[in-house]
Amino acid sequence: MQTWFKSGSPWIWLSASGVSISLISVLGLLWLIASRGLTYFWPADIVQFELTNEFGVSSTVIGEIYDREEIPVEQLAHTQMVFAPGVSSIERLLVKTGNRELVSLDFRWLISPHIKSMTTPKDIAVIERTTNGNFYGYIDKLILDGGAVELSHLDELLERVEALQHEIDSVQKSDIGAINYQLEKLRLKQRKHVLDNTLTNAVEREIQIQISQLNEQYQVLEQGLMKLREKIARDQLVVVAMDGQKLTLGFEDVLKVTFNNKLTLVDKISVFLRQLKAFVSDDPREANTEGGVFPAIFGTVLMVLLMTVIVSPFGVVAAIYLHEYAGKNALTKLLRIAVINLAGVPSIVYGVFGLGFFVYMVGGSLDKLFYAETLPSPTFGTPGVLWSAITLAILTLPVVIVSTEEGLSRIPASMRHGSLALGATKIETLWRIILPIASPAIMTGIILAIARAAGEVAPLMLVGVVKMAPNLPLDGNFPFLHLDRKFMHLGFHIYDVGFQSPNVEAARPLVYATAMLLVSIIVALNMTAVTIRNRLREKYRMLEH
Amino acid sequence: MISVTPRAISEQDIKIDLNNLSPEQVALDIDRLNLYYGDKQALHNITMSIPKGQVTAFIGPSGCGKSTLLRCINRMNDLVDICKVEGEINLHGENIYGRQVDVAALRRKVGMVFQRPNPFPKTIYENVVYGLRITGIKDRRVLDEAVETSLRSAALWNEVKDRLHESALGLSGGQQQRLVIARAIAIEPEVLLLDEPTSALDPISTLTIEELINDLKKQFTVVIVTHNMQQAARVSDQTAFMYMGELIEYSDTNTLFTAPLKKKTEDYITGRYG
Repeated sequence: MQTWFKSGSPWIWLSASGVSISLISVLGLLWLIASRGLTYFWPADIVQFELTNEFGVSSTVIGEIYDREEIPVEQLAHTQMVFAPGVSSIERLLVKTGNRELVSLDFRWLISPHIKSMTTPKDIAVIERTTNGNFYGYIDKLILDGGAVELSHLDELLERVEALQHEIDSVQKSDIGAINYQLEKLRLKQRKHVLDNTLTNAVEREIQIQISQLNEQYQVLEQGLMKLREKIARDQLVVVAMDGQKLTLGFEDVLKVTFNNKLTLVDKISVFLRQLKAFVSDDPREANTEGGVFPAIFGTVLMVLLMTVIVSPFGVVAAIYLHEYAGKNALTKLLRIAVINLAGVPSIVYGVFGLGFFVYMVGGSLDKLFYAETLPSPTFGTPGVLWSAITLAILTLPVVIVSTEEGLSRIPASMRHGSLALGATKIETLWRIILPIASPAIMTGIILAIARAAGEVAPLMLVGVVKMAPNLPLDGNFPFLHLDRKFMHLGFHIYDVGFQSPNVEAARPLVYATAMLLVSIIVALNMTAVTIRNRLREKYRMLEH
Repeated sequence: MISVTPRAISEQDIKIDLNNLSPEQVALDIDRLNLYYGDKQALHNITMSIPKGQVTAFIGPSGCGKSTLLRCINRMNDLVDICKVEGEINLHGENIYGRQVDVAALRRKVGMVFQRPNPFPKTIYENVVYGLRITGIKDRRVLDEAVETSLRSAALWNEVKDRLHESALGLSGGQQQRLVIARAIAIEPEVLLLDEPTSALDPISTLTIEELINDLKKQFTVVIVTHNMQQAARVSDQTAFMYMGELIEYSDTNTLFTAPLKKKTEDYITGRYG
């Protein structure tokens, strides 16, 4: 035993178990998020339940089984149910029944004594819609262009509707959006002239002409849109819900029809992949509880990239000053300690600072100086993607400074001396020799900054993130990148969907799926940075003295 | 006496009298130089003249101040915050510690090679042209020519001419040291300072560098610091022996090694201490 201790083995075991525990927790986390998140996209079997309650009333429920749990019998004491002696707990199922226009809640708990039979009929359809959530039921009739047709035309019909829908979307979003944007620009131009007292009749007439031209264009588009809508409204779907009610659904609401119980494994995989693709490329619907998260992905990535562009030069310059130029005295030491401690300030404090300083003070002044015509509605004096990026840049500044300084101090003095001895000045040495060699360390700082910034939510809630942004910060209207706009963010999306949505049960898988996406995006951003760093490392590999 | 064979005196070795140099013969004139690191005095009242177009060696035990003296000549000691210099070093009759002196310009005239090879993590080509690029030369032809000339002078051209655009860090230690010499002579300095240039190298590389030093003195004034007395005897024309920050004896190499005037010098070169 004594020799075993002396051999050092216990310490090896101890440290190895430390590594294992960290590894297991990371893998466990990823596994949990991935498994919960990915099942959201897997087409589940649709079950038809025949129920009889304790009063002998029968009913039918159709839906997906979401969850199962055991509950103690005591919890059902208030009911008239009689249980066999010795039974202490019974199972209950959480079923998503959809059809929100018929029942107020689209989730239901079913307790096992009520369930008389569970079947999975092949022809139950899952109809994904833009309003009222999924519909579960049987398709009764298809109406194409006003006349009933065979059910086999369903795919054809869906394609036709999708094409029309696509056309409507593009007209609505890009064409009409652009006209609205130009109209707003003209309104502001007019107002600017009024404020500057330069509104002559000629100018006003010119503006009016432009406005009327735009309005004409708008009318044309609007008419086209109406026609498309009429066309789409001629396609309908008559469906039978679980309680026998017949409903007529307009095809403009229908996104997708699948017969989950008929799908083979290959079909299921293809549905799964399509759902996954829709999740990352579509806009959210129904108060974010359905649809995709594309705007949130876009907002997250854009904000992080902006943050990187802002933080890198500032951090590097600050580190260079601290390491190369600042005198080696108590003040510099104090400054360095202050910078390091900045990293420990809670992030919400940065949010408050960003709101008070950037949004209200800087943004407010910018508005007064350059955007007076839009006041009282603020342009930059309101939370937006620029202020978010700057706030997070300040939050991550210490990380970049510290790792850049470490990189600078690791460079052997012989490099500096070599350059100086060749007649280079200090700044030339820095620029041509020191910075390139320190670039891997700078990249390390940037990687850490990205990792920290992409995961921050709290400060963003104060300086720019919203639940639902109508427009992306990047679009086809000049100047293309609109830094004043509010944006959506995956981290905030998780919080919003998980805790603020009207339907928390429905949103739970979405929370996991979004979390998985957030993790993957951060990993992707980091991997890019790590690849760049490794390239630089290879290039500036130091001599092994 | 130590058994070193001084270099055979060839025709180009014009016998010069160190105590009586004409102004044209002087490359550097060090006058009453004192140097302090904080309170500690590291150099005491050094006065010597280094002749043009010759190899001058500084020898002495570790810590005697020979490297410090060398670093004074191109003001590398400026990088040490606590270092203070009194006295003068004159290059062309101008004190390099004068107020008007542009240190970067001085270092272009007085090049330096360090103990350990310190090539930059760039290509061989970029290492050689570094000094030229600093002075703003962009003409490709001029740079190409400078690379070839200086690599040839540093006896490295034949070994690297096919891989000029590969990383300099792939070279061996001896090659790296010759590359660093090529880099230093690419900007055509007048004086070349070598600070124990072979102490990190194997014997064969050392021999190559020593032969190179012999060639270099045709173009440059060479000052070399070495802890290896045989090396000093082999490569230098003049030798200065330093001890405890003082210049003990300074004469032509042959005399210093065969008939030293001072007791301390004799003790050192016979290996009695140091």
